[in-house]
Amino acid sequence: MIIFIKVFKRREEKRRGFLWCIAKSRRSERMARSSSKDAQDLFRALWSAYAATPTNLKIIDLYVMFAVFTALIQVVYMALVGSFPFNSFLSGVLSCVGTAVLAVCLRIQVNKENKEFKDLAPERAFADFVLCNLVLHLVIMNFLG
Amino acid sequence: MANKVKRGVAVLLVAMSKLIFVFLAFIPLLCTSFSPERPSDRRVLVLLDDFAVKSSHSLFFNSLKSRGFDLHFHLADDPKIALQRYGQYLYDALILFSPTIERFGGSVDAAAILDFVDSGHDLIVAADSNASDLIREIATECGVDFDEDPASMVVDHSGYAVSATEGDHTLIASDDFIKSDVILGSKKIEAPVLFQGIGHSLNPTNSLVLKALSASPSAFSANPKSKLTSPPSLTGSSISLVSVIQARNNARILISGSLSMFSNRFFRSGVQKAGSPTKHEKSGNEQFFTELSKWVFHERGHLKAVHMQHHKVGEANEPAIYRINDDLEFSVEIFEWSGTSWEPYVADDVQVQFYMMSPYVLKTLSTNGKGRYFTSFKVPDVYGVFQFKVEYEKLGYTTLSLSKQIPVRPFRHNEYERFIPAAYPYYGAAFSMMAGFFILTAVHLYSK
Repeated sequence: MIIFIKVFKRREEKRRGFLWCIAKSRRSERMARSSSKDAQDLFRALWSAYAATPTNLKIIDLYVMFAVFTALIQVVYMALVGSFPFNSFLSGVLSCVGTAVLAVCLRIQVNKENKEFKDLAPERAFADFVLCNLVLHLVIMNFLG
Repeated sequence: MANKVKRGVAVLLVAMSKLIFVFLAFIPLLCTSFSPERPSDRRVLVLLDDFAVKSSHSLFFNSLKSRGFDLHFHLADDPKIALQRYGQYLYDALILFSPTIERFGGSVDAAAILDFVDSGHDLIVAADSNASDLIREIATECGVDFDEDPASMVVDHSGYAVSATEGDHTLIASDDFIKSDVILGSKKIEAPVLFQGIGHSLNPTNSLVLKALSASPSAFSANPKSKLTSPPSLTGSSISLVSVIQARNNARILISGSLSMFSNRFFRSGVQKAGSPTKHEKSGNEQFFTELSKWVFHERGHLKAVHMQHHKVGEANEPAIYRINDDLEFSVEIFEWSGTSWEPYVADDVQVQFYMMSPYVLKTLSTNGKGRYFTSFKVPDVYGVFQFKVEYEKLGYTTLSLSKQIPVRPFRHNEYERFIPAAYPYYGAAFSMMAGFFILTAVHLYSK
C-alpha cells in the first residue's frame, strides 16, 4: 500500500512535468523516455507487491481472469458471427460474468486482511460460493437453449 | 252402406292428394323471388302518374318484359299499393315513373321506399321539371340534389339536339357517359342520348353516387321561360343528368332528371348534336337505358365468392391454427352473374389481406381463368388472432367483403432449434465455467 502511494506521488510529479514540457517541446523526447521507464518501474512495483498475496487468493484471481477472458472472446465472436442465438450468447456471457462476480465475492470474504469479514468463517464463505454457483449454473443451463 | 262410406272417403282422399300435388307443383313458381343464387330481380312494381305512360314508354317496359321481368303497373296514388305484406317484400325492384306525385297511396311513403332500398332492393326514379317534394326527398336521401327551382331545366346552347324548330335548347344531346363497361355494357354507345328535364348535382359527401350521364361544360340549369337575372346555381359538367348509386348493401339505384328520356318518342327519334355533322338515325337512349337497367336489376356486375380455403403448403385440410412462419396457400372462387348463369370472373386486381388490426400481408391473387383465385405466402413472425380478408370494391361491381378468422401461435418450446452450430462457443463457455468451478473448488479446498 505504501509503495502504491509513493508510486502515485512520483507519477503525479511526472505528469505535471509532462504538461510543463508541452510548452518546451525540445525536451519532450527525453521526458517520453523517462515516463516509459517509470511505467516499467510501476509494473515491477505492482508485481512485487502482488507476489506477497496468499496463494489461495492468487488462484481465485487466475480463475477471475479466465472467466473475464472467456466473456471477452464470446463478445468478439458475437460481433463477428451475429447475434442469432441471442439467448445462448447471453447465457454464455452471463455465466462468465456471474462466475467472475461470485469469485470476486469469495476473494473479498476469504481475504484475511479484509477486516470487514473477520467474523465470517472462510468455510461459510466457501459454502455460500458453492450454493450461488449451483443456482447460477442451473439458470444458465435453462437459458442456454 | 259401410262400403259406400269407405268409397266416399277414398274419393275424397284422392281429390285432396291431387290438390296437394298441384299446390306443390306451384311452390317453385312462388319462390322465384330474389335469392343469392339468382341475383337478378324478378318482380318489379312500376308506379305511374298516369296509365298513358304505360303505352308512351312501352319500348322500355317491353325490353324489361322480354328479359323475364314481371312488371306490376299501378297508379302512384292507388290506395291498394303496398311494398310488403306480413314483413315480406312483394317486389324485388321499384320503378317510380311518377315525378309529380305528392303522396303515394296505401302505406307507401318516402321512408318505406328507403327501407325497401335498405333491405337490398333496387330502385329507378325518374324526375322531371316540376318534380314533387316527395321525389326530391327520395333523391336527396340517395345523395342526389335536384335544382331547387322547380321550373328549371337543363339548357345547353352549344350541345343541344338539332330539331326542325329552333326551340329553347332544353332538348340536349349528351354523350358524356360514365367510363365503365360493366355499367353501360361493352358495346360502345355511338349516338348521343337525348335529355329534356331537370338537372341535379351530386352530394359531395356521398361517395357512392356516380354520374352515369353528365351535362356538357356549356350547360346550365335555369328556367328557360324567364330571363336569366342571376347566375344559375348549377353549371357545366357538375350537372348530372342521370346518376347511379350502388349502396353498401349492393342495392342499386338509378336517378334520372327526365321521364321523357325513357319514352318511345325519344327512343325512336333521330339525333344530331349541334355542331356535329353526323346525324344518327336513332338516339342512344334505348341502348343506354337497356344496358343501364341490366346493371340496376343485377343482370350484370354481380359477384359472388365461394369456397374460401386455406391450408399449409403440402397439406389439403384446413388447419384450426397456424404457427408463425408457416407457409400457406389461400384460394377463393369468384363468379359473376351473367343474367342466366354464374360465369367465372376474371380480373388481375383481387387481393387478400392477412389482417390483425392492420394488414400484415397484402397479396394480389393469381387466377386460373375459371374463377379460382389463389396465392401462397408465409405467415408473418407475429402471433395473435388474424383474419383472411378479401375486400373487393370495383366500380360497377357488387362489393365483396369476406373474412375468415384464424389464430396464429408462436413456436412451442420443443419446436425451437437445438444445438445450433453457431452457438457452440457459448455452450463451450458455459460448460468450461462449470469445469472451472469444479477445479477451483478442488484446488481451493486442498491447497492449504
